[in-house]
Amino acid sequence: MNSYTLNTVISFFSFLLLQVFVFNHINFLGTINPMLYLLFLINYRFDQNQTFFIMLGFALGFSIDLLSQTGGAHTIAALTISFFRPFIIKHSFGVISETPKSFQSSPKTLNRFLFLFLIISIHHLIYFVVVYFSWDALYLILKNTFLSSIFSLILILLINSLYRNSDD
Amino acid sequence: MQRIINVLVQFKNLILYLILLGISLLFINSKSDFHQYKFEKYGLYLSGGLHDFSNNISGYFDLKKENLRLHKENSTLKVLELKSQALPLYTNKTIVTGRFPFRVKNVRVIKNSFQNQRNYLIIDQGSEMGIRPEMAVISAQGILGIVKSVSKHYSNIISILHLDLKINVQLKNKSAFGSLVWTGKDPKKFSLNDVILSSDIKVGDTLITGGMSSYFPLGIPVGQISKVETSPKNGYFKISVELFKDPSQVHYAYVIKNEDIDELKVLKSGIPQ
Repeated sequence: MNSYTLNTVISFFSFLLLQVFVFNHINFLGTINPMLYLLFLINYRFDQNQTFFIMLGFALGFSIDLLSQTGGAHTIAALTISFFRPFIIKHSFGVISETPKSFQSSPKTLNRFLFLFLIISIHHLIYFVVVYFSWDALYLILKNTFLSSIFSLILILLINSLYRNSDD
Repeated sequence: MQRIINVLVQFKNLILYLILLGISLLFINSKSDFHQYKFEKYGLYLSGGLHDFSNNISGYFDLKKENLRLHKENSTLKVLELKSQALPLYTNKTIVTGRFPFRVKNVRVIKNSFQNQRNYLIIDQGSEMGIRPEMAVISAQGILGIVKSVSKHYSNIISILHLDLKINVQLKNKSAFGSLVWTGKDPKKFSLNDVILSSDIKVGDTLITGGMSSYFPLGIPVGQISKVETSPKNGYFKISVELFKDPSQVHYAYVIKNEDIDELKVLKSGIPQ
């Protein structure tokens, strides 16, 4: 087991536990909870096996759903994001997922921001659509998606910058 | 086979995604009552639409069978209708004995002419099915004619669109009798002859068959009076009648059998002419 795999396993479980026991209970402004576990899906290396990544996304979402007694919204949202991540990468960076990591060492800040924004907003949209699952709740879905996305985006940007700073 | 495997390998991510998505949908379906209800609603909507669609198509192929079934059912109802129309009009016979001597058989009109001065119809049943000459033929909304001759499987019918056929009719709720004859042009336009001037007749009065002919039961609605003219010369009205239903546009008909016709014939032959 190399260090990267070990790193992945540790971050998988730490994000899972953090999300379930900490971030699901923030209830900022009443209902808004950031979804920090997306960091795992965002920071997973781009050049790894896509099939395995889809299974990882499914496992992560499924575990969160199981532990937090929610229906299946995290599973569907995380699974969909892990499946569509290569297309989002392609769209925001203009490179394919097979590009070696060395080429992505210094992506432009705007590209990185676009990538984060797309992943977070799509994930939240799917999540709230599944949770409400009704045309009548369209306004609620959009409102929750918007507010939660902003909250998650700010937190993820903050944590990511800390993490990257300590990494360098 | 190799190609199938290649395609599977090529789309393995998509297939995996769809399988896992299906699993999560099953998961959400089993865990959340709200989502279960929603899925069932959409499923019902979908299956309902599909069943409706297939039902429409199969119903179209069953139309002929269904028509025959309805026609058969109608013939049993027709007897009841005729009976209920006639019962208050027959003074005491049917009321006392409860006997109604007319039976109905449903037939299909396979030829119907109306261009000539003397028109005939052909129906798809004959002597094998119990059709005899001199039986009456009616449609759903009026009378059609009288059986003239029968073969084994078909019958020839004198249409009421025939200049020589006179039908005994009477006014509903009034005791004025007359005979109905076609005018020879419009299949709905008839004239009512032999109504004496003393009777009280107005435009809009309903005509029903009179019970004197022994072909038709009493009380089948035939038409409506559209014009009344008096001609003082001969002491009769000149009355125009419009039928309820165009006899040239009829495809299904009923043959009426009078079970007492032999009895009546014997009686009539006993009267010295």
